[in-house]
Amino acid sequence: MKAIYVIPAALSLLVPALAQAELKWEKTTVELSPGVAEKQAIGHFKYENTGKEPVRFKSVKASCGCTTAQTQKDEVAPGEKGEITATFNIGDRTGVQTKTVSVETEPGGMITLTLKTNIPSVLELMPNFVFWQANEKPEAKTIIAKVGKDVPVKDIEVTSLNNQFDAKVDKGPGEGQFRITIAPKATTTPAFATVTVKTDYPKEAPKTYYITARVAAPAPAAVNNPPAPVVAASPNPGS
Amino acid sequence: MKPGAIFQALLLIAIAAVPAVGEAVYFRDKISWRSRIPASDIVDLDLVRSWGGTVIWVDARPDDEYQADHIPDAISLNEDRWNELLPQFLGQWSPDKKVVVYCSTKSCNLAGDVARRLREEAQMPQVYVLEGGWEEWLAKRR
Repeated sequence: MKAIYVIPAALSLLVPALAQAELKWEKTTVELSPGVAEKQAIGHFKYENTGKEPVRFKSVKASCGCTTAQTQKDEVAPGEKGEITATFNIGDRTGVQTKTVSVETEPGGMITLTLKTNIPSVLELMPNFVFWQANEKPEAKTIIAKVGKDVPVKDIEVTSLNNQFDAKVDKGPGEGQFRITIAPKATTTPAFATVTVKTDYPKEAPKTYYITARVAAPAPAAVNNPPAPVVAASPNPGS
Repeated sequence: MKPGAIFQALLLIAIAAVPAVGEAVYFRDKISWRSRIPASDIVDLDLVRSWGGTVIWVDARPDDEYQADHIPDAISLNEDRWNELLPQFLGQWSPDKKVVVYCSTKSCNLAGDVARRLREEAQMPQVYVLEGGWEEWLAKRR
């Protein structure tokens, strides 16, 4: 008699799970390692309709604006194969980026596809911003540039785009490291500069990174006294 | 309660636990067990408003969403054009300001990613993420 209760309960748990097995996915997680110069990472999520009825895509949505997802068709016949292509625009992102694509099918329900992209780091700047208060002692501040793992950067070139700041580079404290020092000529007037850090890798299009250096405007002496304008170089980063 | 009923209840729990545990193990790298942003770094709109003029708003959404509409005086800083936009933000930052980053939906990580990079790469101490993001601000704006 006990089986009268247990078996239907067990079936109620198992049957919905079996009913969802219409589209069989080769992988629901794709890991990519694009090259340093690549601007996009493209993942292919292959599927096959192993059921006995057609499966229709109700919606395919990426988790963020930097990722787009496309189906080849709206409906998949029994036995038919296909793929969803997820394109991740790398932009200026770094490190491991995990983006998801939510796919809703009828029948089948919802499934989440995951695109994991490991963006290689050529150079890491710690920090990428140096700041002096107005009238602070104009001492040099240090930035450590660390070359990424297995990246063959041999040398870097550091240039301040504003001559109100001096920038120079030496060998760093550890292997694959450089020490960059930046100092303002004075801190009596506000100043702003972009310092470019050009690597020698990859040879065909060497990567350039940016440090921002800034001297703050002095606090206004009176309420009606507007802050002094910032003297800025004309950086053109992002290239 | 009859011992038989207890046995059946435990048996049902055990049956249900098998697929649950299996799914948790299989999808272990896809489950967000906790938010990527520490709770102490998430602030609500009422708190941000209480900070008054010491706040710099940072909009982490893509360019088109920022251009369509944004919090007044918010500075656009997203990872699509990080190298280009960061100096523009740093030109307006000062140590006495609190930076509050927002993005477009409650589940998005864009604001968290931008806040993390400002803390780690630019070494800024006072960087926060707006709870509820852009939608929360829209709902409560006056």
